[in-house]
Amino acid sequence: MSDSTSLTTGTASLVAGGAPGRRNRSLLRNFFVREIRTRYLGSMTGLAWAFIHPLALLAVYHFVFTTVFRAGSFKGHSFLLYVAVALWPWLAAQEALSRATVSLASYAGLIRKVAFPHELVVHASVAATLALQLAGYLAVLLVLAAFGEPVHFEGLLLAIPLWGVMAIAVLGLSLCLAALQVFIRDVEQVLVPVLMILMYVTPILYPLSLVPEHLQKWVAINPFTWLVARLRDALLDGRLALEWGDAVAVVVALAIFAGGQWVFRRLSPQFEDFV
Amino acid sequence: MSALLEVSGVGKDYAKVETRRGRVRLVWDLLRGRAAHEVFRALDGVDFELQRGASLGVIGENGAGKSTLLKIVAGVIEPTRGSVRVNGRVGALLELGSGFHPDYSGLSNIELSAALLGIPQKEIDAKRDEIIAFADIGEHIRQPIKTYSSGMVIRLGFAIATALRPEVLITDEVLAVGDESFQKKCIAWIEEYLKTGGTLLLCSHSMYHIQKLCRVALWLRDGRPELYGPSADVSQAYLAFHEEKEARAKQPLAAEWARTAGMYSIQSIELTPGGRVAQGTDFTISGEVYSPDGRSPAVLVGIVRADGTSVYGVATDMDGITLDKVRGDRYLFSLTFLELALLPGKYVVRVHALDPEAVRLFDHVEREFVVTGETREFGFVQLQHRWG
Repeated sequence: MSDSTSLTTGTASLVAGGAPGRRNRSLLRNFFVREIRTRYLGSMTGLAWAFIHPLALLAVYHFVFTTVFRAGSFKGHSFLLYVAVALWPWLAAQEALSRATVSLASYAGLIRKVAFPHELVVHASVAATLALQLAGYLAVLLVLAAFGEPVHFEGLLLAIPLWGVMAIAVLGLSLCLAALQVFIRDVEQVLVPVLMILMYVTPILYPLSLVPEHLQKWVAINPFTWLVARLRDALLDGRLALEWGDAVAVVVALAIFAGGQWVFRRLSPQFEDFV
Repeated sequence: MSALLEVSGVGKDYAKVETRRGRVRLVWDLLRGRAAHEVFRALDGVDFELQRGASLGVIGENGAGKSTLLKIVAGVIEPTRGSVRVNGRVGALLELGSGFHPDYSGLSNIELSAALLGIPQKEIDAKRDEIIAFADIGEHIRQPIKTYSSGMVIRLGFAIATALRPEVLITDEVLAVGDESFQKKCIAWIEEYLKTGGTLLLCSHSMYHIQKLCRVALWLRDGRPELYGPSADVSQAYLAFHEEKEARAKQPLAAEWARTAGMYSIQSIELTPGGRVAQGTDFTISGEVYSPDGRSPAVLVGIVRADGTSVYGVATDMDGITLDKVRGDRYLFSLTFLELALLPGKYVVRVHALDPEAVRLFDHVEREFVVTGETREFGFVQLQHRWG
């Protein structure tokens, strides 16, 4: 490690014309297209599943909460719209995390034999999932509006940047989990139940105001609680005003990203031997 | 002019972890920026420089650290010690087809390889036809790679590497695969590439390829450099080391094995005047053959070029010769080529032990030899001739 500076020169010059940025961009684009194709376009059902799965979940929750539990409307909004606005980004984040965690394994051949920044694999995986889920989100909002739900489409001006903030945090977590997964195969196994539990302690299927008061501050610590609340502000109420909390959230997202990237970069030199 | 590639004091340790706890501990060590607890030293103290247009062959037994060295030079892994300086575009053919996605067509994989090497799309568009022509796999180029035979994967991989023309080409045993005509095409391409200023780092078990393509060779033994110098010297030393090693391991065994299995076998072989013989002088191949049943075995002696081309072969039974018993179950053979007609170059003599009927071939032993001399004639045999 003593001479790492000269090593960096070496690796950088692997790149034609000395433009690592351009090389990485074209590589990222290639990985991204590859992800989308193999995952969703490889089979018709793959693409359909990306939309059917959340729609089916939404239908089931709708049935359980409004028909069985007879929950009324939340803050004057129909249950369906209230949940859809929050459930979709959650499922997107969940899918992005679980796919990204195992993403390095499918690039094992490349990692063992070719010099390239391993991060790009995780970036492409997360980007592919979130891009498709965002498309699904917009499609569902359109469908709900078509059925007469009062969607504030101008709220997308805030909602899409909110997805951006989420993407930064999800990418950070994904980098960390993907790197750990290379060494400790249990990460993938543990992630599924953990995400399941987290979903129920996040106010997705219920409003924060229904949580007993002494527990509210614990639920509110969850950054996803902030995201869900802000998405509802924007899309249900059409409130676009920024808050101080938004700045904090951006800082938190960037910190998660930086932390995840730090872990990844510490571990990635050893991937070749373990992946 | 500074070297294209400078490798100084390079070493690589691999973490040794067998248990799950060991893995957790390794992650913890890495996160704290510490070295792994228990390591296996795969490579140590390797130094060399490659100037533009130079060619280095890396040889050694399996597990000697050859692949690790190539991976370090290619930037796939970081060395634990020392440094690597590269002043050019490195194209690594560490394992052909490793960068390919099996579900994608050959054409899409050409693009992926280009992206991995950092080649702009425009450049790839211009080279696509050249790649397809070199690979010469016809309509398969539109099929997914997973439907390819291993030979076809190699063809495409090599075609991509050649079209992109890296400043340093690193290949690991690439020439060992593919059919003969494609191998020849690859070798011809590498020779041309070297002539026009390309730089090669080749790892091979074939001393023929090393001597043909590399001026300098590095012999790695248990992760450490054993010998570095002109490729002819290093590969000779390496072969000699192997012969000794095999001889040590084989001598008592062969006799034992031959006896119990009832096999006719070559027990010893001697070249006179030696491994170097001047063109036009007498050259004798002699030795002892073991016979399990007290009957006189037949012997076949053949001469081949270093690349395997047959030159001449003759057996005792063809000339109606019966070998004489020297002692016990040993029979002596001796064959002299009068005024050796071979032109200067490297050759191999192969001696086979056959049953007395000269029908079944049992043992086979070979020795390299060099014919020395100065001549401007072509080919490998001097035919008796007369100008009219």
